Amino acid sequence: MSTCRALFMLKKYAPLVALSMAVLMYIPASVEAQSAAADQLTGKLVITGASTLAPLIAEIGKRFESLYPTVRIDVQSGGSSRGVADARQGLSDIGMVSRAMKEDERDLSAFPVARDGVCPILHRENPVQALTDEQIVAIYTGKITNWKAVGGVDAPITVVNKADGRSTLEVFLQHFKLKSSDIKAQVVIGDNEQGVKTVAGNRNAIGYVSIGTAEYDAVRGVPIKLLPVGGVAASTENVQKGVFPLSRPLHIVTRTSPAGLAKAFIEFAQSKAVYDLIRQQYFVPLAD
Amino acid sequence: MVKMMERNLDGRELLASTLVWSAVALVTATFCWLLGDIIWHALSHITWTFLTTPPRNAGREGGIGSILISTTLILGVCLGVSVPIGLGTAVLLAEFTTDDSLFGRLTRRSLDVLSGVPSIVFGLFGNAFFCKTLGLGFSILSGGLTLACMVLPILIRSTEEGFRAVPTGYRLSAAALGLSRTTTLVHLLLPAAVPGLLVGLVLGMGRAIAETAALIFTSGYVDRMPESLLDSGRALSIHIFDLSMNVPGGDANAYASALVLVVLLLAINGTASWLAEHWLRRRIVTI
Repeated sequence: MSTCRALFMLKKYAPLVALSMAVLMYIPASVEAQSAAADQLTGKLVITGASTLAPLIAEIGKRFESLYPTVRIDVQSGGSSRGVADARQGLSDIGMVSRAMKEDERDLSAFPVARDGVCPILHRENPVQALTDEQIVAIYTGKITNWKAVGGVDAPITVVNKADGRSTLEVFLQHFKLKSSDIKAQVVIGDNEQGVKTVAGNRNAIGYVSIGTAEYDAVRGVPIKLLPVGGVAASTENVQKGVFPLSRPLHIVTRTSPAGLAKAFIEFAQSKAVYDLIRQQYFVPLAD
Repeated sequence: MVKMMERNLDGRELLASTLVWSAVALVTATFCWLLGDIIWHALSHITWTFLTTPPRNAGREGGIGSILISTTLILGVCLGVSVPIGLGTAVLLAEFTTDDSLFGRLTRRSLDVLSGVPSIVFGLFGNAFFCKTLGLGFSILSGGLTLACMVLPILIRSTEEGFRAVPTGYRLSAAALGLSRTTTLVHLLLPAAVPGLLVGLVLGMGRAIAETAALIFTSGYVDRMPESLLDSGRALSIHIFDLSMNVPGGDANAYASALVLVVLLLAINGTASWLAEHWLRRRIVTI
């Protein structure tokens, strides 16, 4: 009876036993791996900044870690402004900035890793097929408040804008020569997916998001449509060709010119070895 | 006349009960809808592999193994720090200070203000104090300590209420029997105050486990399997937020993670009440 019970217990805890054995076997293995890579790169890189870039850099980091097992790449998200601030103050080794560098950011060394387009999006059921730059400016500054004025149905326009500090906002403002304070928005959002979800849930909304995100969602049946800008269709293809007017480079930045581990990582992030990861995250590699 | 009044009363009675029942129905329906929606979208994705493997491709593929470990560690740090401090402060406030002393009033007022502070403020404080000043960096320890600060006010106040709810007669009888204050506290007051502690614990844990704003600045975004408490580790709520708001195509795994979060919360609440029933209650008898 008691043997039977003991057996039962063993069976019950078999996964646990297997797990602890696996852990025990894993420890010597990892020690070996460490000594093998001792002469290679080692240490920890802290990378902070743009939430748009965070998933991509985290994936690149994982691949880098698998090449150099003693290296740790810690990616923290929080926005481009934070990427710049943290890199400047030395709180991070590398910052992520999802836009072109500004005049007053010349003190940082910037390295482009990928490109991304930004395009206006509407609900799929909205009959409007295209908007001129002037119309978009008028809508975002509150001069046009009804879809009727641009050839749509008689319904008020819900303007979806990005929160201050977001790079998509800055790309948008720069292209349309607007100031953040000029914009009269009904909804202010943060991340790209949130923009897609807001517009998909409101037939009368207009927003703008990363083309990669919008393309991915539109293909998978989310009810949105991508509007052309300046007559150029919004697609990752056109961003890569460099013909789409609203696009932004995605940068990683450092305070001083990078050396050692940071240099190796930046070179890796700019190499062809990560192009598949860049496409996987719906961005556009720099060159093909 | 009497009949008319009765009818009138009946009418009012009917109206009142209709209102009460519709309120109940509304609350229950909202909960069922929410839960149903999550279960409907998530159930097919939940597998053993999902629960044990780390995320891949920014969380679109793979599972939440490392995220679960990080979340557990963060909660562990949070509870390990907040329960002893919370219990101690509650005992001090309820048993060793009078209601109208300046110290007691000041402490209570501070706690009430703290419990209303938005979590993002705790996040910024945690980032400035634990990550930078104490040099803990983005780590599970920073995250857990920040959550502990956030949970403490709720925990202290409800435990204190638990102590206050114990009739004074208990204390007087214990004193009459010659029991020391410590014995009274451990064997009589503590078990009697456990329901209050549990309410605080359940509310606090609920707040902690659902926290994103405070954790994104402290425990961070790294979804690797944590190797120590000083490693950055992504909490489940941050993972859900990132998958649904920042990663195109992350919805399916976001739903699955949300279901895990809800189940985890229910499990914690269940364990808390089970502990109350079976473990702490017994101490009041075996004095």
